[in-house]
Amino acid sequence: MPGASQPFVAIERVSKTFQADPRTPPIAVIDDISIAIEKGELVVFLGPSGCGKTTLMRIVGGLETATRGRVLIDGEPVSGPSRQKGMVFQSYSSFPWLNVLDNIRFGLKFRDDIDAAGKERLARHYLDLVGLKGFEDYYVNRISGGMRQRVAIARTLAAGPDVLLMDEPFGALDAQNRDFLQAQLDVIQRSEHKTIIFVTHDVEEAVFLADRIFIFSARPARILEEVRVCDVLPPERTLEHKDSEVFFKLRNRILGITRAQALRTEQLMMGGNGAP
Amino acid sequence: MTDNASPPAPKSAETGAGSQPAPVPATRQLFRFRGTTSKVVDLYVGIASFAILLALWSAATGLEWVQPQFLASPLAVVLRLYDLLLGVNADHSFLQDIGISLFRVGVAFGLSAVLAIPLGIFMSSYRIVNAISEPVVDFIRYLPVPALVPLTVRWLGIGETSKIALLWIGTFFQLVLLIADDARRVPREYVEIGMTVGAKPRSVLRHIILPAMLPSMVDNLRITLGWCWTYLIIAEIVASSSGIGYVIQSAKRYVKADVIFAGILTIGIIGLVSDQAIRWLHRRWFAYLR
Repeated sequence: MPGASQPFVAIERVSKTFQADPRTPPIAVIDDISIAIEKGELVVFLGPSGCGKTTLMRIVGGLETATRGRVLIDGEPVSGPSRQKGMVFQSYSSFPWLNVLDNIRFGLKFRDDIDAAGKERLARHYLDLVGLKGFEDYYVNRISGGMRQRVAIARTLAAGPDVLLMDEPFGALDAQNRDFLQAQLDVIQRSEHKTIIFVTHDVEEAVFLADRIFIFSARPARILEEVRVCDVLPPERTLEHKDSEVFFKLRNRILGITRAQALRTEQLMMGGNGAP
Repeated sequence: MTDNASPPAPKSAETGAGSQPAPVPATRQLFRFRGTTSKVVDLYVGIASFAILLALWSAATGLEWVQPQFLASPLAVVLRLYDLLLGVNADHSFLQDIGISLFRVGVAFGLSAVLAIPLGIFMSSYRIVNAISEPVVDFIRYLPVPALVPLTVRWLGIGETSKIALLWIGTFFQLVLLIADDARRVPREYVEIGMTVGAKPRSVLRHIILPAMLPSMVDNLRITLGWCWTYLIIAEIVASSSGIGYVIQSAKRYVKADVIFAGILTIGIIGLVSDQAIRWLHRRWFAYLR
């Protein structure tokens, strides 16, 4: 990597501690993490539930603040949420009082860089991109969970963010729907060239989607290992890749790391009576 | 329910209409633990329970289980209500009393809602507003409204102002906390979606928090409207020369059980009609929830 060029998203020595109650000692959630992400990359944060990977992503999104360290996007420090950083949540990802098209339009509502006609054109474009043509008038409670997540992706893309932050967006879907949406996200990313941070605890999902995977330890989160999937799998992926030898090997290697980590955490809890 | 006959039929992934055992008849469902509902059966049962109540009432008066000065017969009540509405044997029509009662509830409740909705939303949005107002609101909320009657009469006289003030106190302080809770229960994700598509706090309030909380807010308005009627009767019984409560109170003085019952029946009917009307609007406005 050329040392002089600045990464698009720079997470610089970020630490986070929580203190719910002044009488209890603060809890370390993130411990000194640095990650550099290039423009157009899809990076996965992989780790056990409650490990702090979502918190780190929320710090990138400006929805939470770091106790130490900082995040730069395109050289500018993140100071709060903005249209530059789009979020796709696992649940409550779209508004029930709006229909599919109005949900997508909502992403464009606060843009002043395009006129009304342009907004309408873009809304239709993203509706089409996520394959929801014909469902414009449906309220989101009447469509399936997978379709709801596609609405959320379309809305977020319509807002024109530089970075897309996805917090286990397919976590609540059944296996078939998840497969389908993963493949579709890959297609979308190739056409939109977005920088994406994707949080998941699903190893297969991580390998399928990622250019690079960052494996997180249990709390306080540290990076156990960086896995460069882009070195062994092509950038364009189809569901067939999930059956390939390379895919299996990589998946098993990562599972080995996460299992060893889970075991160690458990031993620590048993032996040390829960103390860190 | 689903009257959408539009292009491709979407199948809801959530409602797992899985394998069903032998169907249980709708009437049997009534007695099963958390049985499925049927609107028609519920309606019939509702009508039947009213009919039984009416039959018991008729029996109690017709068979003279109870003295007529304590309990008027249903027929006597209906006839009395008819007389009252026409204004027979009275200096003014009962319709005017109903009108004045509706006016009091309308003004007081409207005032409560208009003030409680913004304050409640701001209490949930800004900690400073909440810190200032919640302890005070919570304290006043627990004051028994009837205990305030002497004060409102002393301060505001026996005119409309004192009655409206009393109703307002009775509903506003309850409503404001309910509204604040409604706003607080809006999922954090909705608000964060707003902030990450570039909405400023004002727009988040208007375009996200308000529509998201609206269904539960309408429900809470419906419930507090019922309380408002309770306080109205207290206000009218204690210090008034008009209104449904006054009619009931003066009937008591002359031992006219039929008039008392006619008054109570009127309030019951108004309550039932307004409640059902709001429920109907709720179903229409928030059809997207189903």
